[in-house]
Amino acid sequence: MKLAVVVQRYGLDINGGAELHARYVAEQLARRADVDVLTTCARDYITWRNELPAGESDVNGVRVRRFPVRRERNPERFGRRSHHVFGSAHSVADELAWLDSEGPASAALIDGIRRNEASYDFFLFFSFRYYHAYHGIRAAASRSLLVPTAERDGAVGLSIFGPVFRGVRALMYNSFEERAMIQAVSGNDAVPHVVVGVGSEVPARTNPERFRQKYGITSPFVVYVGRIDENKGCKELFSHFEGYTRALRGDLSLVLMGTSILPIPDNPRIRHLGFVPDADKFDGIAAAEALIMPSYFESLSMVALEAWALGRPVLANGRCDVLQGQCLRSNGGLFYESYGEFLETLALIQSNRRLASAMGQNGREYFQRHYTWPVIVRKYMDMLDRLRAEDQGGAARPPIEPLPGWFARRRPACRAGDDVVRGLPEGPARPAGRRR
Amino acid sequence: MPPEFSVRSDSVDVDQIMTQIRARIREKRGVDYTEEELQQLANVKLEKFLDPTRVRSDLIQHYRRLQEPGGASGAVPPPENYAFDDHLVYGSARGVSGRLITNIRKLLNPLLKLFFNPNPIIQVLNRQSAINEYARDQFDRTSALSYEVMHNLVLELTRLSIEVKNLKMRVESVSGRLDFSDRRARALESVVQYRPGAGPAAEPAATASPSPAPGIGQAVRRDVEAAGGGAPVKGEAQRARRRRRRRGRSAAAGQPAAGGAAAEDPGEAGGPAGDGADTPDERGRDGGDGLPFDGRDPGPAAAPPRGQSEPTDQ
Repeated sequence: MKLAVVVQRYGLDINGGAELHARYVAEQLARRADVDVLTTCARDYITWRNELPAGESDVNGVRVRRFPVRRERNPERFGRRSHHVFGSAHSVADELAWLDSEGPASAALIDGIRRNEASYDFFLFFSFRYYHAYHGIRAAASRSLLVPTAERDGAVGLSIFGPVFRGVRALMYNSFEERAMIQAVSGNDAVPHVVVGVGSEVPARTNPERFRQKYGITSPFVVYVGRIDENKGCKELFSHFEGYTRALRGDLSLVLMGTSILPIPDNPRIRHLGFVPDADKFDGIAAAEALIMPSYFESLSMVALEAWALGRPVLANGRCDVLQGQCLRSNGGLFYESYGEFLETLALIQSNRRLASAMGQNGREYFQRHYTWPVIVRKYMDMLDRLRAEDQGGAARPPIEPLPGWFARRRPACRAGDDVVRGLPEGPARPAGRRR
Repeated sequence: MPPEFSVRSDSVDVDQIMTQIRARIREKRGVDYTEEELQQLANVKLEKFLDPTRVRSDLIQHYRRLQEPGGASGAVPPPENYAFDDHLVYGSARGVSGRLITNIRKLLNPLLKLFFNPNPIIQVLNRQSAINEYARDQFDRTSALSYEVMHNLVLELTRLSIEVKNLKMRVESVSGRLDFSDRRARALESVVQYRPGAGPAAEPAATASPSPAPGIGQAVRRDVEAAGGGAPVKGEAQRARRRRRRRGRSAAAGQPAAGGAAAEDPGEAGGPAGDGADTPDERGRDGGDGLPFDGRDPGPAAAPPRGQSEPTDQ
């Protein structure tokens, strides 16, 4: 079977969530199929500047074909158009203009997909919201699978993506919450799909003591791993944790791993280690009382899965439906939606070792059941085999819905993206038989 | 500290734990408002929480009415913008005859231009029309933004008012508990009895110390003195003891009492063990409150010179 993984950026030094996800999946599937990666020459997701050479290269044993981006993103124009399509009534043409300004606008990549459509059995598109996925799927809809990596933001509510969600051959969702959201917005329940997520390369053994010695940490601590950014909920985390240290005596500290674009509070119980090697990251998580995940928007938190793989409980932001749903389904972590809940849940994790240990154990089982690579790869291969069997059976498939005509495309009949998203069902997908 | 949940490693139920945690928080806080309730409170019942002299209780509704076209408060809807172009000045709305008139006007246009040039006027009016459109668009946006800001402000004010109210209740509750604890502590201290069984051996040691460390007895004594009953009783008791001592000495030496000088006789420093006035029982009676006297505050009639002390007062 010959597969093409299509993603906006690709490389060993590119650590964006969807891009890393795509690389992991490509490398794993390459053991079972002939995999090419089709991507752009961009490295920076803000500008999409062409920084890598066009043409073929090899990354970790996977063949990568890069195509140049026609023009860099104009942030001012993109911001203005985003404001328009997310915040007010607009037309399909406005949405297409927004998509064009978002980028990465690589006509060469789309041409490549169109020309080589017959060379591949299937195309796996990552990240629905970018230019390459929308136009690429329209170019080769009958062979397209989509890994949406959708978050609860205005882009999901744009009308141009409805036909894409309904027109692909299959969808590989990251979580039940993502599936519920996309099905509600596009009505694509009939499209084959599976909730699959992504695995992680977690070492079989960790050395928490080595981490403590290396960084001179003797007291118990909770850990945050990721970009330290207000958008990731870190500002709220700092405020809550400082409140916690004032409210409860003890020596619990907060250890931060990752690049910071937010000032770190001057508090002796908050330690920032900066960017750390993977070995230190895993040892640090294993040494921690719990992992804290304060982000409001996640389609799937890989670091939370890693913490569970290492048997540590997770304390997540409950306002993120996906994280709350993961905690409920795994019974591997608690969540908070206010300072009061943060205080209580963190105090509980710290004081009740048996509970923390049991949640860590549950998390580990949840990871092994759903997120180890053999499980992930099997889900992908099952879906691909199913689609190939359908093709061989000669089942007729309607083509993807065409764009509206010239006049209809310019009629401002589309609702604001944010309004559409506000109307979508909220809350975590709960285990069967559970009610809040 | 949070409660210990009964934990079995195979039966952790995060949903149930979170329910318990939320119940605990509600119990602590007294009342918990959901976001929807807060919205409702912000929109409807502001007067219950906000100062009505400063913020209108129907602020949001008022503002919303203003947003509606031709809404309340007598606001007149703005006139329609006039779309102006170069054909408009020659146009006519009279159907077939109008088209004829339009063509005639266009034919005569060169003649008209002999008198004045209408083109700049057309351009200016056209631009003015665009400016009007732009200004209205900007106004709509600013207005929507102001509404959003105002709404959020009122919401936050409501939230803070509720929080302040809750905090006030908590402060009152804590204050009440503190008062109760204080009274309880005083009541407990007041039943602490001086125990003479501490023995005579303890007394010289205490006497030798010019400034004994404050113990519970002293603390209680200070409380009693502060209550206003301690000092007079102590002064009278001291005077009575001194009178008895003087009488005793006079009787023993066959001399009349010689005022304060006799009391300062160094020979008395050790004090006769058999001095009846110094027996603990008697001292207890003299003290009236069953408490030992404080050597640092001997009373106005018995202040010894610096460096000397009255052993019987200890």
